[in-house]
Amino acid sequence: MMEQKNKQVNEEILGMANNLKWELGMDTHDSIVSSLYADAAQIARKTVSMDGDRPSFSMERKIDKVVTSRMLGFPIMFVLLALVFWITISGANYPSGLLASLLVDTLHPLLKNAADSVMPWWLSGVFVDGAYLAMAWVIAVMLPPMAIFFPLFTLLEDLGYLPRVAFNMDSLFRKAGAHGKQALTMSMGFGCNAAGVIAARVIDSPRERLIAIITNNFSLCNGRWPTQILIATIFIGGMVTPFWAGIVSTGAVVGVAVLGIVFSLIVSWGLSKSVLKGEASTFSLELPPYRPPRILQTLYTSLIDRTLFVLWRAVVFAIPAGIVIWLVSNITIGDLSLAEHFIDWSNPFAVVFGLNGVILLAYIIAIPANEIVIPTILMLTVLVTGMAGVGEGSGVMFELDSISSTEGILREGGWTLLTGINLMLFSLLHNPCSTTIYTIYKETKSAKWTAVATFLPIVLGFVVCFFTAQLWYLFF
Amino acid sequence: MEHPILALGLGLLVIVVLAWAFWPKKGLFARMGKVRNSSRRVLLEDTLKYLFDCEYKGNTCDLNSVAGNLNISADQMARLLAHLRDMGLVVFQEQNIRLTDTGKSYALRIVRVHRIWERFLADETGVEQMDWHGEADIREHQLSMEDANRIAARIGNPAFDPHGDPIPTKDGKIPPFSGKTLNSLKEGEVAQIVHIEDEPHYIFEQLSAQGLYPGMQVYLLDVQEGKVTFAADGNECVLTPLFASAITVQPLPKAKPIQEGYQTLSDLEVDETATVVGISSYCRGLQRRRLMDFGIVPGNTITAEIQSASGDPVGYRILGTTIAIRKNQADLIFINNIKKEHHEQSA
Repeated sequence: MMEQKNKQVNEEILGMANNLKWELGMDTHDSIVSSLYADAAQIARKTVSMDGDRPSFSMERKIDKVVTSRMLGFPIMFVLLALVFWITISGANYPSGLLASLLVDTLHPLLKNAADSVMPWWLSGVFVDGAYLAMAWVIAVMLPPMAIFFPLFTLLEDLGYLPRVAFNMDSLFRKAGAHGKQALTMSMGFGCNAAGVIAARVIDSPRERLIAIITNNFSLCNGRWPTQILIATIFIGGMVTPFWAGIVSTGAVVGVAVLGIVFSLIVSWGLSKSVLKGEASTFSLELPPYRPPRILQTLYTSLIDRTLFVLWRAVVFAIPAGIVIWLVSNITIGDLSLAEHFIDWSNPFAVVFGLNGVILLAYIIAIPANEIVIPTILMLTVLVTGMAGVGEGSGVMFELDSISSTEGILREGGWTLLTGINLMLFSLLHNPCSTTIYTIYKETKSAKWTAVATFLPIVLGFVVCFFTAQLWYLFF
Repeated sequence: MEHPILALGLGLLVIVVLAWAFWPKKGLFARMGKVRNSSRRVLLEDTLKYLFDCEYKGNTCDLNSVAGNLNISADQMARLLAHLRDMGLVVFQEQNIRLTDTGKSYALRIVRVHRIWERFLADETGVEQMDWHGEADIREHQLSMEDANRIAARIGNPAFDPHGDPIPTKDGKIPPFSGKTLNSLKEGEVAQIVHIEDEPHYIFEQLSAQGLYPGMQVYLLDVQEGKVTFAADGNECVLTPLFASAITVQPLPKAKPIQEGYQTLSDLEVDETATVVGISSYCRGLQRRRLMDFGIVPGNTITAEIQSASGDPVGYRILGTTIAIRKNQADLIFINNIKKEHHEQSA
């Protein structure tokens, strides 16, 4: 009885509330919220006293006027970013070589000898030639540039300059349906795509954040720079006189990187107009005050949070890849190894795309890290062509000190200028490495968007390679 | 490989076929979706919805007007109506077609789902304004009442859809239609624009050009023969009765009129300061909440501080922080009291 009455009263109240809502118009909720904010602001104005503008404020405005000016804004930005890349590439050269000679040239034979004396050849092959070598390679190639690039980048961020870059770049990204901060995640992607994907957290709008995550792979990461530089030097630099070779091959690598930026803008635009159309979108960008960077803290957080975190994920994925690489080149069916079977079978298919079976297999088994693509390609080429006296045996990845001997191996493997160009294109446009794929899944919590981010670039890569190859066959 | 031209042609063909199949709105799959959507049940429900709309607004409707609205032939419509009569949803009274009580509550359920979905799209997604209605027209036939109620609860049981039409309650209550044309209001009355007639086009264009849109509050200042003067969200407008009659308004007897006129934030030049008046009802959902979080609420002071190298966005200082806002957002933020900011020159 009582309950029934309560229910009746409840319904009456709800009905009355609804009638009142209808009489007050559609913005009631909004005006309540804004009057709350307005009251709070008014109370704050009365009771909180502020000491004028901080003395640094006018200084800050002067800096802002320069770095966001029409004349100087963009040049300053390009010079600073170019400087960061230059320091990274030239600074990483020496420690990378040192690590490689330590981990690959010195430690690997030692370990191999030690392992051979206690275990059968295939077990030492799996562990030392496969797992250890892949890990050593990833560390040697990946660690030095990341340990330089990330702290530099974090310093610029801490200084307050990076938000100004996003601010200046926003109008370009707005036209592509993206957020200005994507300029930052893209730059971060030039260091490492996994780190770039994590960096997309700074974009608080759901749609623009997904766009930034999905297109980050179009930033040529530092695992792919060495491939680009090597192939450009051999095949594109080789076309012209030695005097021009350096400039032309550098131009080709920069061209591929710029092509990546163009693709990322076009794909951003396409995504925002199609599959991501309905995702909620908002724009906001805080421009924090400049402050002196906290150097030690920056070093610590960028090394721990970014460098080691990403390196750890890469190593975890590289170890099984190393094992697989060793196994496919050592397990034989009939006279041929698994690798050779696959390469023979996929060659006709690969030629349609101006590539070859070795490249396809290398990109499949080296999904965990772009760093080991070139060593894998060299090893597989030697395996397939049966060259004597080069490399260290099937399943053992290697690199050569001289570019001309690398060229010799590749030419022996039937590589042409077209193969070189298409490898450069394919290295830009293929699925992200498994570390990045895993990171994308962690960040989006969605199998669907992870799949889009994985397959979109590789489909694009095959399309671009196909048309390049067929046009090439048509004209040459 | 021996026939690169053949291969190129094949490649292009594949791309064209895929594009043809998946192109949004015009592609094969989109068309198939549309065909599925014009099934018999959908037509029946659309008919009920249209009949309800006529009755709600006090218009009468006959066979031809329903058929015209649904874009099908009169014969087809007659068969549909006969079917509806057999189901006990409509009755015929001479030329007029009327809904029975069952028919009316069926129609109200569809209207509720439609308007809740529109509100959901407006508040929670990035779907563009132009697409709200079309998407809801599809969803109203697919979404169950329970799902619609759950969505309504999640977005705070709204009472209006984003166009200003009331959302029927769960038990089918809806306030009586009280829309009037703008020229029938009296001086001193406050109302909200709920609808702007889009035919004839030149009137619609003129009204849009004046910045009038659904959701704006109007406050009648002066009604004379040949001239209606009113404040639309605080800004004075003058229209002839012909133009004013194209605007449908919903009187709001308890609302306070917005007094002050305003300009938009994008009018603010660098180094100028102004007071925030409010955010347009065009800016909804996440974006609106975000702007309010930054302190863009009535009464706060805002200063244009820096312009980006490309001119858009502009950095504004509010509550001690600098926030960059794009021009298309700044267009939707209302301000007044623009003043030049005085800087103390520091040496």
